[in-house]
Amino acid sequence: MFIVDTDVHNYWSSAEVLLPYLEPYWRDFLVRGEKPGPRGSFPHGHRPWLHPEGFSRHDIRPETEDDNYLIMKEKHLDLYDIDVAILTADEPLEASTLANYHYANALVKAYNDYMIDWWLPKDSRFKGSIIISPTDPHGAAAEIRRLGGHKDIVQVLASHGSQRPYGDPFYHPIYEACAEVGLPFAIHFGGQGGVNHNAIASGPTTYYWETHALLAQPAMTHVVSMISNGVFEKYPDLYFVVIECGVSWVPSLMWRLDANFKALRKETPWLKMLPSEYCRRNIRFSTQPLEQPQNVRHLWETLEHMDGQNTLLFASDYPHWDFDAPTNLHIPPAWRDKVMGLNALEVYKRIEAPAAAARVA
Amino acid sequence: MTFACKAAEVAVGKPRIVTIGRIRVGIFQLEDGYAALLNICPHRAGQLCEGPVSGTTRQTDKAEFVYERAGELIRCAWHGWEFDIRSGKCLVDEKLRARTFPVHVDGDDIYLEMRR
Repeated sequence: MFIVDTDVHNYWSSAEVLLPYLEPYWRDFLVRGEKPGPRGSFPHGHRPWLHPEGFSRHDIRPETEDDNYLIMKEKHLDLYDIDVAILTADEPLEASTLANYHYANALVKAYNDYMIDWWLPKDSRFKGSIIISPTDPHGAAAEIRRLGGHKDIVQVLASHGSQRPYGDPFYHPIYEACAEVGLPFAIHFGGQGGVNHNAIASGPTTYYWETHALLAQPAMTHVVSMISNGVFEKYPDLYFVVIECGVSWVPSLMWRLDANFKALRKETPWLKMLPSEYCRRNIRFSTQPLEQPQNVRHLWETLEHMDGQNTLLFASDYPHWDFDAPTNLHIPPAWRDKVMGLNALEVYKRIEAPAAAARVA
Repeated sequence: MTFACKAAEVAVGKPRIVTIGRIRVGIFQLEDGYAALLNICPHRAGQLCEGPVSGTTRQTDKAEFVYERAGELIRCAWHGWEFDIRSGKCLVDEKLRARTFPVHVDGDDIYLEMRR
């Protein structure tokens, strides 16, 4: 089976791997400036809650920079015969929490160069995400245009913690750049500290598991905002990929949106379809973490309402604590080929389809 | 033909709701004549004719708000779904159509064709 893993975290032993990619002024910030952790940590406005066990699986313990890749190769890419692994970084997503957007831009730019130099050449299965700091949409757009033509870059990625809902016209320069270079815009759980202080609607949560259960909340806001602000009318070919935000909430939200739109569509006369139709056309959701009801049929029935066979993309979230193995994903068997890999070909057009077709055949 | 009400009891923008037998019907005066709709919304059985007579916003390509069809639509009192007063057609769901009744004016009196 052709497998595209849309959420593979590549990380580092220290954020100091970015030093060669930073201008001298920002290098000094990273070396001598204040940071939330020990030497070598990545600067960001930290979360109010912390994972009690650390985010990574306990069987993944890299000691050196090279270990990161070698362990990933052995325990994930080779073990599960992954065909394509889309790298989604780790701490760089948190650059969106910094008030100093000049520094945030410098950090994500350095990360993107490091990822292209160090990670992409290591394995032909790797595809990269351009990490952006959405606090400066014009800076983000410049970064998208700088790297968007790279053959192994397949998406633009931001944290789902943000200052405003992503449909806000403030962010449209990002989508203009995405449309220009032909890349999807993706958001990933995280970045819920610092300037993104209001990412959970009623204020910060206390415990990590509590927060993780609510990871859908900001995603819901972004999905509604992207649709209602007409992003998909403005950029009809743009895919919006929602990574690690859960999925079973999508049908109920669409039911509510469609009903409300039917009564109040005069607020947004630029929309020409029902919200659920934009969702079906332009938005894709990664599977991990898939909800786990007692009776899996309850989940499958829910996923049918969002046309899950065509709108879900497999993600493992390697190497994090809530990792989903490709061999143990609870989706209807008839959907597996599409969800595990074929759906991704529609979104990530730079992934070579012929190889995929050959594998399936 | 069933007598519904006096023409003087209906004004443009202010439908008159009458009870005929066991059903309630909204009588509307438009710029060019009269129309009648069953006072039951096919969406969720709301009080269709007790909502505001209105126009709607034209579909546009940008943040531009163009009001059109003023006085030609009724927004259901319950959920605000819009219906064409003349045809009963729902603007947001082509499967829905409010029941209409042909209207005849005879002098000062308004009559409805209740069975078609």
